[in-house]
Amino acid sequence: MAETSSGGDRLFRSIAAAKPKLVTGVPDGMLAETIKLCEESPDFPYIACAREEECIGVACGAAMAGERAIVMVQNAGMLNSLGAFATMGLRYGLPFVVIVTNRGALADPNGYDIEKREAFDAGVRPMARVFDFDAGNLPDDLIPAAFKWAEAARKPVILALEKRLGGEAAP
Amino acid sequence: MSNPVSTSNLPSQKDAIAAAIALYPKRPFAVSDVASQSGWLKAAGHDPRNLYVSGPMGLATSVALGLAACRPNEQVLAIAGDGALAMNLTSLATIAGMKTQNLAILLVDNRVYEFTASVQSPTRDLDWLAVGRAFFGEGQCVRLSELTPEKWAGVKRPALIVADVAPSAAKPPPLGLTPAMIRAEFLGASRG
Repeated sequence: MAETSSGGDRLFRSIAAAKPKLVTGVPDGMLAETIKLCEESPDFPYIACAREEECIGVACGAAMAGERAIVMVQNAGMLNSLGAFATMGLRYGLPFVVIVTNRGALADPNGYDIEKREAFDAGVRPMARVFDFDAGNLPDDLIPAAFKWAEAARKPVILALEKRLGGEAAP
Repeated sequence: MSNPVSTSNLPSQKDAIAAAIALYPKRPFAVSDVASQSGWLKAAGHDPRNLYVSGPMGLATSVALGLAACRPNEQVLAIAGDGALAMNLTSLATIAGMKTQNLAILLVDNRVYEFTASVQSPTRDLDWLAVGRAFFGEGQCVRLSELTPEKWAGVKRPALIVADVAPSAAKPPPLGLTPAMIRAEFLGASRG
């Protein structure tokens, strides 16, 4: 019988399977369980940043040394970080993975999230490769596959996780 | 707020960076902020262990934290200007929270944005030692002018070194390195 687990635990196990040297982030409700599991992990440090732009810097420091690093932020936090993402991550071609909770989806309609999502679509997608996933149904090999893509492409990659209605198609 | 600083007898940014690096028995990884700090770090002596951050201003402390976490047996020195560090002041809270044992920050305080026509920085009257002490504690924030290699060896990390430097009449020479060159050289020097 297959092991049942929450989405947060499943994301954590996928992160651990990629054997990162560090994970860094700023909390979002959809990431809270994964962050707690990362903080408890003996296999890598979790660097809790005060601001999302710092996370991009932390990941760039690891990637410049040839190590795998993962960033976890909300879409609003990614918008805060575009300067760092572009001028370090893209300019130096650093293959780190950014997990973004893309709030404001059809199944996640908080009024204060709607503009974040629209700004994410307008501002982030034109400059970076974004792959979209249902946060409730993540593939086990998501994070290892994301690193393989980023390392082949020699650039960072963004995984946008969102809440979806039953049967709702990918964007 | 501190008193205005007389700049007539202050070291140059280049000399302050060289003096801070010379405090270490083994060459640390030096992670410099974009533009002024990277230019003066290279002018002070190019080394494969130099990581020239390409932006945005202030990110060097965060990049240095990521590097320090990956290389816990190496010393890492982040080099930030006063204008730059003010743009990423929250990184001091993050570094303090992580209690990173192999990371120090050299703050070169010239009180201007050197690369932007030397417009005065809003932090020109700030007491940076007091700011650093609020995050790291009194014993971990020191003036460069008061340090010797022996004293520095006894300072617990994370630490902040404050260096009052003279504003330069000219920008540093261009880096003359492409991003690919910087990345490849640093990768070779930092492989675990």
